[in-house]
Amino acid sequence: MKLKAEKIGRMYFRSSRHTNFFYAIESLDFELKEGCITAVTGRSGSGKTTFINMLSGLLIPSDGRVLLDDTDIYALTDKERSSIRNRHFGIIPQGQTGLQSLTVLENVMLPATMYGKAKEKKEKAELLLEKLGIDDLREVYSNELSGGELRRMSVARALINEPEIIIADEPTGDLDADTTVLVMELLKSRAEEGASVLIVTHDKDVLPYSDIVYTMEKGTLKKP
Amino acid sequence: MKFSIGIAIKNIIRRPVRTALMCIIVFILSFSALFGGYLIISLQNGLGGYRARLGADIIVVPSAAQGHGTVDNVLLQGITGNYYIPGSSLEKLEGIKGIEKKTSQFYLTSAKASCCSSRVQIIGFDPETDFTVMPWIKSLNVDMADGDIIIGADIAYPADGSLRFYGESYHVAGQLEKTGTGLDNAVFTNRSTIKKMAKSAADTIEREALKGIDPGKAVSCVLIKVKDGYDPQALADDINIYISKVRASSSASMIGSVAEGLENVSGVISIITIGMCIIAVVLIVAVFTLMINNRKKEFAVMRVAGASRKMIIYPVAAEAAFISIIGSLSGIMVSLLFVSPLSESIRSRFSLPFLQPDICTFSILVLGALIVPVLIGVLSAVISALRITGNETGLLLREDA
Repeated sequence: MKLKAEKIGRMYFRSSRHTNFFYAIESLDFELKEGCITAVTGRSGSGKTTFINMLSGLLIPSDGRVLLDDTDIYALTDKERSSIRNRHFGIIPQGQTGLQSLTVLENVMLPATMYGKAKEKKEKAELLLEKLGIDDLREVYSNELSGGELRRMSVARALINEPEIIIADEPTGDLDADTTVLVMELLKSRAEEGASVLIVTHDKDVLPYSDIVYTMEKGTLKKP
Repeated sequence: MKFSIGIAIKNIIRRPVRTALMCIIVFILSFSALFGGYLIISLQNGLGGYRARLGADIIVVPSAAQGHGTVDNVLLQGITGNYYIPGSSLEKLEGIKGIEKKTSQFYLTSAKASCCSSRVQIIGFDPETDFTVMPWIKSLNVDMADGDIIIGADIAYPADGSLRFYGESYHVAGQLEKTGTGLDNAVFTNRSTIKKMAKSAADTIEREALKGIDPGKAVSCVLIKVKDGYDPQALADDINIYISKVRASSSASMIGSVAEGLENVSGVISIITIGMCIIAVVLIVAVFTLMINNRKKEFAVMRVAGASRKMIIYPVAAEAAFISIIGSLSGIMVSLLFVSPLSESIRSRFSLPFLQPDICTFSILVLGALIVPVLIGVLSAVISALRITGNETGLLLREDA
């Protein structure tokens, strides 16, 4: 599946002496290449997270369009966009994320459970937990996990539906070098299977796995 | 739907402290509304029953009976006693102007002994002149012959349809509807039957109490209907001034004092009930809203995983509904458990007429105590969830990053 951004921009409100609004991203064109890992680096506040949230269908652009194949995802209803996100996107958000009342296994299976595919995805979930080294935590509640374990749980949750597009915001942020390798190997293998992977990162260990690397500066993407 | 219910149940079971806290708050609202509502309605009904059963404009009783066994005390508290108006006072009553109708009653208190089925106030009335008891008896569509009795709603009687007083059996011809007054524990009969009862009593255990009393002539109470154009209170005052050894009270003043007492008690109960309900409603709204606000991050995770807004709202609504229903049902059950003994304690402590609401009113009260807290809980949670999910997920993630 092709994910493309056409002249997207996002404006935020911020009160200041000169103006109340500013553009985090302005008139940006981008196309995510299939079957490879694309990395975006850049300083904090350069607009990286805004950029990938718009591509993920989580943040409405102030200008421009985001196209999945030929479909403008923001022209769809909430229900349609959510369904597309569930079937085609695997998103690893920034920060520690998990539903506290669910076990690790239930959290990983959440995208499948909410669309009635829990049974068929259980084996896949267990396999992902094993690959990420947290299979012994499957019955533990997510609020009992460390930062690194939560991060790995998020990675497994993003991959459960075998998405064609994987978007990850700092996927190795809380991980040691060994675990970083585990996660990146997993993402690399998905890319080799044809998925498009977009990673926002500050982690230099991620770059060797990346096929394309961009740097974001003041809302614009540049190749180093 | 299966997903919504599943998530809701997991949230309820796996967060027991949070669930218990929320249930307790809903419980308080449900319990306060049902218990307080029940008490207030019962007191209001009691006043209605009291007013309806009084029937006369003026009630004349012997001075000696003040506080014991007079019609107002029988009506309010069921206090029983044997007191009689002296014949000389009754004669003077004939000379009072402004009386349209009058009728007399003879009171006899049954003994709490093996000779009698239960201790009750037996009221003997004159069917020829009576205008207070006969209307209720007529409403029962029963014929009352000599030896028959009509009993109040709280008196139980055996399958053979008779009650025993002073060694004699009397046929129960009918039973009155509940009034919430002491009359629910009284027995009514005509003059000739009560004369027979009094004779048996005098021959057995009430020899001292009925010494020198002729049940055919003795009078415990005179009930007066005032002619148009006469003021019952002024007439009662005249009786009190000109006739010794009796006390006349206008029914308006009796109702007034009862109503005043009732308003005081009912007012306090209303203030406590309304206060508790307001506090509980504020707490429910605050706690349910906070509970949802604290889950912004979880909602963002669900959106990231592909949940539509509905897929977040439905589990929230289901969870709030389950918790509210558990809290409400607990509140209803506990108030049902305590309402009867506590009502009786309040009734006897404050000496007020007390008539339980009918089944229809009671059902509405119970339904209200169930539905209102559930609605408040669900709406608070859903509105909060709608507000949160109305934000873009990207912004929610930024807030919590």
